[in-house]
Amino acid sequence: MPENMSISVNVNGQSQVPPGFRFHPTEEELLQYYLRKKVSYEKIDLDVIRDVDLNKLEPWDIQERCKIGTTPQNDWYFFSHKDKKYPTGTRTNRATAAGFWKATGRDKVIYSNGKRIGMRKTLVFYKGRAPHGQKSDWIMHEYRLDDNTSDTNIVPNVMGDGAQEEGWVVCRIFKKKNHLKTLDCPLTSSIITGESGRRSHNMFDDDEGALEQILQQMGRSCKEENEVNYSNNNNGRFSLSSNFNNNNGGDHSSSINYNDRFLKLPSLESPKSTSLENNHNNIDTNNNVYHPMIPEMEGSFTTVHHMDGSNGGRLANWAALDRLVASQLNGQTESSRQLACFSTDPTSSSMMVYGTNDVVQDLQMPTLRSSSSSTSTSTHRAAFVSPHAQDYNSSEIDLWTFARSASSLLSSSSEPLCHVSNTSV
Amino acid sequence: MGDSEHQRNVNLPPGFRFYPSDEELVVHFLQRKASLLPCHPDVIPDLDLFPYDPWDLHGKALGEGNQWYYFSRRTQNRVTHNGYWKAMGMEEPIVTSSNGKIVGVKKYFIFFMGESPSGMKTNWVMQEYRLSDSSSSSSSSSSSRSSKRKSKTDYCKWVICRVYERDDDDNDGGTELSCLDEVFLSLDDLDEISLPN
Repeated sequence: MPENMSISVNVNGQSQVPPGFRFHPTEEELLQYYLRKKVSYEKIDLDVIRDVDLNKLEPWDIQERCKIGTTPQNDWYFFSHKDKKYPTGTRTNRATAAGFWKATGRDKVIYSNGKRIGMRKTLVFYKGRAPHGQKSDWIMHEYRLDDNTSDTNIVPNVMGDGAQEEGWVVCRIFKKKNHLKTLDCPLTSSIITGESGRRSHNMFDDDEGALEQILQQMGRSCKEENEVNYSNNNNGRFSLSSNFNNNNGGDHSSSINYNDRFLKLPSLESPKSTSLENNHNNIDTNNNVYHPMIPEMEGSFTTVHHMDGSNGGRLANWAALDRLVASQLNGQTESSRQLACFSTDPTSSSMMVYGTNDVVQDLQMPTLRSSSSSTSTSTHRAAFVSPHAQDYNSSEIDLWTFARSASSLLSSSSEPLCHVSNTSV
Repeated sequence: MGDSEHQRNVNLPPGFRFYPSDEELVVHFLQRKASLLPCHPDVIPDLDLFPYDPWDLHGKALGEGNQWYYFSRRTQNRVTHNGYWKAMGMEEPIVTSSNGKIVGVKKYFIFFMGESPSGMKTNWVMQEYRLSDSSSSSSSSSSSRSSKRKSKTDYCKWVICRVYERDDDDNDGGTELSCLDEVFLSLDDLDEISLPN
């Protein structure tokens, strides 16, 4: 390749990167080409990825140091050698003068041709010192090679990355977009402006980025929800998870079929607030509501509904959800629907609630009426449980566990349950 | 990755791709084309009018990932062999990052199979970039304030089309946070959540 390279790339020097071209490697390229060469001390033809001492450089310094040419960049790449630990443990020390990098979420497995080649860790930069740091918009993806690429059955140990705490990693940093894509998402502005957003969806028929919007909203709702409920005690568990059919057909209409099989959550009496009333306007309660009978159980309820039938496919990736949302946003389908998927968990009820239409913005956790007179016991606390999931593509996505105590549930009400009253707890 | 046919004169290390910004498409390619200046590098082919179905662009247009780029002419007739492109009714101004000047307009189309107006909608999307000084665009409200300036260049003539099939499973290679990451992130605000790191 080098000999017939007609355009050279000179990092931090004169840019020879032709207009329109960017360093935009796939995760596979990062791991298989760049990091693999790095760890084996092979020469990399062009020094596009520099070494960075993560403890010495702030994200905004990295941004300067890791420029490629002069074209505007949205992300920056560097190699980092993990060798420093916090004195108190085995975790990598990623503190800088101004702040620290903190891992978030769960490491994602990176595959190449179906073979596992490495892992990706997501970190967020916090300004200040733990535990009082202030979260910034700087995100880092840290990629490490899998030493055991031949063995696909390796189960990462519970201790996390203790074994991978040494050596070279390749990192990408970027700033989280708060209002998300503007480049290719014509909806962004209309979404942000609110009221007219829904109509815009139908008009423009372009749902790119919409899911992200929705999820951001969702995250916000959850957060609010949790904040509301946080101070309360809780006993039982109430976990959220989802099982989706993964329908690989790109056909929107096929995803519509999901809805018929999705459970509507049983509507449980919940105190109504005014905002709740408003939200209800968005919900078509006559829309094939399926009300499961919910057995009365001590401390939990178990409602089982397997979404995936014969094909056994579950949500293989978010694209399936994306399609689903897209079908909703396109608006030709009937009025609002909700998805509520239940999965089995012997100790808790698992569900995921998606209002896939405009209701999404109002996604909130259900309040289940507790037969005990004190409503303060019916509260939730969020914690991650995802015992099975190695990565986001695994069969189940357990988003939240909500602990609650519900000694009985009303099972015969006819209102779809997708709202919780913030006022009751 | 992608089609190398039209990138044969651009030989870059792994990881470099044609990912132009809107501004680059307009300033580096469309303006130069319209001004009859050579494009450096000359990677976007000229497919003239609109004969090709989107799935036929492979090998003809510049392909990168799941996107295809080509030059075309401005026309009202966007009929292809097996369908037609229908405007989605929205336009987006393209502004320069340096001074916010409107240099172009991006218009969205959706591909329909069959004959207008009874065609069947597909997932194929086209973004058509044109220069903003076209006098015929005076009806478009969003860019009206820049339409005063007259130019000798034949701005009406050329457009750049970017075609892609939306709904593709790929995200953009991880430069954005995944949806679940977003959820995790927002939940991180709750300090009490204990996560295995």
